[in-house]
Amino acid sequence: MKEIEKLLNRIIQRVNINLRELGLDITPYIKDMVPVNQMLKFYAFYGISLNHPLDFQFKQSNLAGSYFLGKCYVTNSILYKTDVRGDELKKKGDIFNYNESEIPVYQDEEINVEDSFLIKTLVHNFSHDPETLERFFIKDTISTHYANIHGSPSDGCFIGPFSTVDLTTIRDCFINAFSYIQAGEISHMKFEPGTIWIRYPNLFNFLYQFPKRSLNKYISFSEGNIPKGLFIDFVESYKEEFQRIFEVVNLETVTTIPTSASLDRYAVVLPKTHIGENVLVSQRAYLENAWLGKGANAQENCYIINSKLEGLNVTAHGAKIIEADLESKVFVGFNSFLRAQKSNRLSIGQNSIIMPHTIIDIKKPLSIPSDHLVWGIIRNKKELAENSISFEDFSKIKIRFSKGNMFFEGDGEKFIKAFEERIHHILEANGAFYNGYENAGHAQKNQNISFNTLQPYPIGELEGMYPTINIQP
Amino acid sequence: MKKYFVKDLMVPISEYATVSVGSTLFEAVLALEKAQLEYQHREYKHRAILVLDKNDRVIGKVSQMKVLRAIENKNAHIEKINEIKKFGFSSLFINTINEQSKKDDISIDKLFWETSKQKVEKFMKAPEEGEIVDENCSLDLAINQLIIGKHLSLLVTSNDEIVGILRMTDVFAAIFHSMKKIELKSKKDKRKK
Repeated sequence: MKEIEKLLNRIIQRVNINLRELGLDITPYIKDMVPVNQMLKFYAFYGISLNHPLDFQFKQSNLAGSYFLGKCYVTNSILYKTDVRGDELKKKGDIFNYNESEIPVYQDEEINVEDSFLIKTLVHNFSHDPETLERFFIKDTISTHYANIHGSPSDGCFIGPFSTVDLTTIRDCFINAFSYIQAGEISHMKFEPGTIWIRYPNLFNFLYQFPKRSLNKYISFSEGNIPKGLFIDFVESYKEEFQRIFEVVNLETVTTIPTSASLDRYAVVLPKTHIGENVLVSQRAYLENAWLGKGANAQENCYIINSKLEGLNVTAHGAKIIEADLESKVFVGFNSFLRAQKSNRLSIGQNSIIMPHTIIDIKKPLSIPSDHLVWGIIRNKKELAENSISFEDFSKIKIRFSKGNMFFEGDGEKFIKAFEERIHHILEANGAFYNGYENAGHAQKNQNISFNTLQPYPIGELEGMYPTINIQP
Repeated sequence: MKKYFVKDLMVPISEYATVSVGSTLFEAVLALEKAQLEYQHREYKHRAILVLDKNDRVIGKVSQMKVLRAIENKNAHIEKINEIKKFGFSSLFINTINEQSKKDDISIDKLFWETSKQKVEKFMKAPEEGEIVDENCSLDLAINQLIIGKHLSLLVTSNDEIVGILRMTDVFAAIFHSMKKIELKSKKDKRKK
């Protein structure tokens, strides 16, 4: 058996040991999900920039097609086409506010991946766990296609396809497909597919669960089968465009961009796309006939097709917008899927929040008013009425509320405010408010990154394994 | 203290509620009622029904819990409530949702009527390995089996055929009886001294 196969078996075994109390064996889920020969094909690469730390250590790992930025240590792991974006890590001397406490950060934070298998996963942000401020760990964890590990240390977990763990420390958890979890700290929990859970103890608790039958059309994932459904078909249909940009060393410029904007070299941009000032386009984003106004952004694994984003729009990791018109400050959360038709478009009014993992898939025109909160699955006006509410009405909730499959307990006003503050923070971090000399963010700092490639052993027992590599300035 | 064996405490199948495979749940309940009336000399009432195949061999057991669960699961809202319980909502919130959801459920009479018409096989549980004990087994080993498997009763075999049922209540009663005897004996002995 080759070293890479031994490594995969070892990781599966470690995850199984962690999940034994849930009575789970993830072997049939994961065994053939990525054939080993695929892991031998691709080079890894890392970014070099004056605006980010440069500190990498790769040891006894396979890094096929993965990208690294910042400070990242990977040991005994397989990272397949995964992006580890360490451009928001804490720096030595930063102060971390937690409840009433101000906790100093005593050294630069690192992303530490150990004994884990990450497939087409995005790792971003910083550890929000006050117990581990300097170490954003991902240990004994398997994450699958288009999962987002966002500011969420993880130990002994399985994260299903198109799932997101956001600002939450997770231990010994099984998170099934298309679930979004933001709950601070959780352990020994198993989540059904399409569970959307946002909890801030003593303030609010939001829960929505997708009807299984409806969700299966978009993503289904079961033992012994690779993830299937419309989401997978959708990304697969654009695969060739990405192959082109990963294969070519020097790409021709397809669009001109303002000096305050950033267009990643590994994003696909097709005509007629407009990129305005302070726009951030991250790698593996796909833009086709997309109009991005001032301060809008398209994060990793986003698809914006035949759509107009007025400005200051956040299109979070993995979100897809097709045939839609978004007024300013519309937020589209992680892995949301918004698809209208050429002659039956979707329009979304100013400030509205499309919550993470929302599906809007329409055959007739649909208009979402300004200042609305939207969640769940929406295929027509009736479902929009069931799965949305105005900020004004939601802010009136002081104790509890339920609507369809959505359950909310706590203070509605604080929930909306928390979202708005977070959206503002994302725009700020992305450089949307840059005025030429201050408020610079990723759109400005991520310019002028050069990329170096890393190659594994080409043949023999170590085929596909990368040699131990330390990279520092 | 008397050394008990399983056969000393078991209830023979002839005294137990039994129904043939293919019977309805309602017929099973009638059989239970009949057994409870006929064998009133027993300190504790029977709480389960044994299901027999064509050759009158025991192939499974219908417990009260199994029937209750089947009724509970018919109302979809219970599943929903059970699912959301783990997400940290207050008990007040859960109760409110429970009350609201009940309105959508089918009436309790209709639910009972529909459930009673279903075949016993649906509610039956086939005996598992740890649920079977030989009639000549000593009581301490049977107690161990009850504890380890968290069973309320064990099926008793003789020559590989199920001949009775050993209920936890009878075991407990026997132990309690022995305890009382020991206590009385020790008091008598003290008085003699």
